[in-house]
Parts: sequence; structure tokens; C-alpha cells
Amino acid sequence: MKTRAIVSIAAIVLLTVSAPAAAHHSFAAEFDRNKPMALTGKVVRVQWINPHAWIHIEVEKPEGAETWAIEVGTPNTLFRRGLTRDTLEIGAEIVVRGFGVKGDALAANGREITFPDGRRLFVGSSGTGAPDDGLDPNE
Amino acid sequence: MLRAMVSMLLFVLAGCEQRSEPDPYTTVVDTKQLMNWILDPNADVIWDSAGFEVTAEGTRSLAPTTGEEWNSVRNAAATIAEVSNLLMMPKRARDDTIWMSSSQGMQTTAVQLIDAAERQDADAVFDYGGELFTYCISCHDVYMLPAASP
Repeated sequence: MKTRAIVSIAAIVLLTVSAPAAAHHSFAAEFDRNKPMALTGKVVRVQWINPHAWIHIEVEKPEGAETWAIEVGTPNTLFRRGLTRDTLEIGAEIVVRGFGVKGDALAANGREITFPDGRRLFVGSSGTGAPDDGLDPNE
Repeated sequence: MLRAMVSMLLFVLAGCEQRSEPDPYTTVVDTKQLMNWILDPNADVIWDSAGFEVTAEGTRSLAPTTGEEWNSVRNAAATIAEVSNLLMMPKRARDDTIWMSSSQGMQTTAVQLIDAAERQDADAVFDYGGELFTYCISCHDVYMLPAASP
């Protein structure tokens, strides 16, 4: 009985220490808090999907246009904040603030969008361990 | 009277001394492997089978278009429903509070997804797919440590 308890506790400790963050919803697993960025680009594609919606924008750079994939919150939470799949018009120029992905991929975790009319909207996910940048009204 | 009491006492003690039979089941993979090898791939089937893609060419639904594709969604939902049981196993459950309520919520949602897939209801698969994610979050927020940044 005592041995079983000790083994169980050890197993729990090991599992806790070694458990990685799942790819779907832990900021630290995919994105780099040391890579804050602001991207201005035209919306070219919107993926209105679970668990995260994605907004793809074409960013003009001196060396040519780059298409960036921006991960935002779940469609349900975006909808509650007033964003639908039809709100972001293809071709609209927006400013996205967020944090870059780990590595060199053209992808980022989007925290805030500034629309052409100047409106700003928090589009990130709450409770994912993202940096406390003051943009999340829930944190 | 005394003999009866002693007999009863010996009977009770004999019951306490009996060794319980070992469980007929055991966990084969750990929780991390369960997530990565079984739950996550099946959740991806659900999530990849619903929603929309909007481009300059228009809006495209991502919902299944064949019976076989709908069956894949149903099968994935059924797998998630049963994986919920695996999470609640005595040998795997971390506690009987948030772990259990999250697992039960995930199972309830998975049952709804089975039904939605059988009815080929794309909107329901999308909505319940979002609900499924909330139960992932509710558990991970409590029991999963964030990966250390380099």
C-alpha cells in the first residue's frame, strides 16, 4: 500500500514535469514572447475554423510581398467580440499586433487588429500564457 | 452469545484480510501519449471538417461532402467520447474536480458531435467543435505546465 502510494506520487511528479504544452492552445509552445511585432497588410484569406481562426495578410516588404499567417482566437470568442468571418473583407488593409512564431515561418500570434476605420479589437486568446501586454480585456 | 460475537468478528476480519483481485485493465500509454497519439488527431478531424475559408474567389465550406467523410467525423467523435472515459480512469485521473468535470464535458460534447455527424449537420459540428476546445482549455489551464521559452 505504501509502496503503491510512493510510486503513484512519483509518477504524477514525473508526468507534471515532463508534460509538454499542446500545440493547439499554449502560447509558449509555438510563439516567442521576445518577438513582438506589428504587421500592416491586406487581408488575402480568412480561415474561420476551430480551434483558432487564421487571418492571412499580404505584407509589402522592400524585397517583395510576404504572406503572413496570423493565429487569432476561437470563432466563438471572436464572434462575441463582434468579429465574424465576413467582417474582415478580402483586400482590407489592417494592422496586426502580436508575437512572432518560433523559428522563421511567416506566422504570428495575433493580439490586436486595427481596422481601416481605426477601430481596434483584441483578437487573441485568453489564458494561453501569452505575454501580459495589456491588450486582453479579460486579463 | 460470546461465541457468536467472536465468530462474527473473525468473519469480518477475514473479509478485511482478503486481497482484492487486480484490475482487469491497465493504462498502456501515458497521458501525454494519449493526447498526442489519440485525442489530438481525432480532435483535428472534427476541427478540420467544419468552418469556412474566405478568399478573393469567395467563401468555401469545409464541411464533409460525402458519406464517407461524415463517417470519419462520427468516428472521430466516438473516439473522443471513449477517450474521455480513459481520462477518467482511476489510474489516470488527476483528481475528482476539474479533471473530471472537464472530461465529462468533453464526453457530453463528443456525444453531440456523433449525433451532428450522423445528421450531417455542418453548423452543429462547427459549434460543438468550438465547445470541445473549451473543455481542452479548462483542463490544460489547470494541469499542464507551459513549455519553457528558450
